[in-house]
Amino acid sequence: MISITGLHKSFGSATVLRGIDLEISQGEVVSVLGSSGSGKSTLIRCINGLEKIDGGRVTVDGFDVSKPRELADARKRSGTVFQLFNLYPHMTAVQNIALAPVEVLNVPRKDAEAEARRLLQQVGLSERADAYPAQLSGGQRQRVGICRALAMKPSYLLLDEVTSALDPEMTAEVLSILANIAKQGTTMVFVTHEIEFARSISTRIAFLDKGQMIADLPTEDFFSDKGMAMPRVAQFLSKMRKD
Amino acid sequence: MRYGDFTPYDLVLLLQGLSVSLALFVSTTLIGLLVGTLWAVIRFYRLPVLAQLVAFIAELLKNSPVLVQLFLVFFGLPAFLKINVTPTEAAVITLSGNSAAFIYVIAVSAIESVGRDQLEAARVFGLNRWQILRRVIAPQAAAFAVGPLTGLLVNQLQVTSLISVIGVIDLTKVGNILNLRTLKPFVVWTIVGALYYLTAKLVAYAGARLETRLRAHTKWKGL
Repeated sequence: MISITGLHKSFGSATVLRGIDLEISQGEVVSVLGSSGSGKSTLIRCINGLEKIDGGRVTVDGFDVSKPRELADARKRSGTVFQLFNLYPHMTAVQNIALAPVEVLNVPRKDAEAEARRLLQQVGLSERADAYPAQLSGGQRQRVGICRALAMKPSYLLLDEVTSALDPEMTAEVLSILANIAKQGTTMVFVTHEIEFARSISTRIAFLDKGQMIADLPTEDFFSDKGMAMPRVAQFLSKMRKD
Repeated sequence: MRYGDFTPYDLVLLLQGLSVSLALFVSTTLIGLLVGTLWAVIRFYRLPVLAQLVAFIAELLKNSPVLVQLFLVFFGLPAFLKINVTPTEAAVITLSGNSAAFIYVIAVSAIESVGRDQLEAARVFGLNRWQILRRVIAPQAAAFAVGPLTGLLVNQLQVTSLISVIGVIDLTKVGNILNLRTLKPFVVWTIVGALYYLTAKLVAYAGARLETRLRAHTKWKGL
């Protein structure tokens, strides 16, 4: 379980998260919605320990991410997929995926690379297994990014606007893969602007506004009268649907 | 045959001088690479005191003439510490230190050229600092550094000629000896210059080859 209580985070004088409470249990797919600057990405970066939290507590399976000794254990349980892919440019797709299993989990290189090829096959990239990131399209790069996260066999997959840098066609190819992963029962925290997709795969929707979580509802409720009863949510949804 | 004529043995002398220059260049480059990179890593880890000390030493070495440093090591150190420093030792110490200082600068900027996104990607998957440095930063930094490094080394090769003034029989010193004997400065210095030129070209060629290899991943190979 990922448990967030009273999370505060500011950058200098700008407060980005103002007391977030959120619990994510095994098997859930939680989409985090909200307009740009609402703190969605920062929330993910607090879960995987890329940002130091200023107040409150974030634990992953009981491991406190603000404690250096426990952060390593917390990170072993979660896998992050980045908005801008963040692939290692000097490594092939297979090497990108196999690096962490080899270095962190001490998996023999042969096994790690075989597993990497299996993952790439699952996302339809077996032909491109030995290509460098520079030789891949955006959608292909993000599929490699997803495989890289899955290779660590994470309990939780953290997805930070993973389709924001992609055109609609590439977005579709990445989302269909994520839908598959969600079906297999991987717990996901999904920060996104893809509202319709969030609706189709999520069990729950968390809505952030100016650093506060103003809604945390089961998906059906969020998109029904209950969500629409909240002015800020109604406003957001109507705007996003018009675009 | 007159005393002032060139003899076949002069060729041997020139090659001996060249090999001394080359040996000094290669050894001081290797030491400089080792020390300069180590300094850059110290800075990367932001080790307190050591990082500042390293930056200070590099500053001193970069901002004073190599010839002055050479005189300090060869004449100054023995007088101050009451030790014996041979010309070769003085040459190795001075040139290594000088190369290290400039390689430090290149290595620091090469390490900093690797994007934050790379560190974050490695960090979230649990790699420790040493693994990140070795597997993610070093290969990318090396590709970045080879170009400036090649430029530096071509220059450092020419700088080795300074050691002739303290009596190391390198290529320049051999040129000096031949010049004094034959009194044909134009011929002698043209030959010596050409030998430096060819060696420098070789260094530049090796650097270019290495750069192509390290940057292979950025080359578009088609779908």
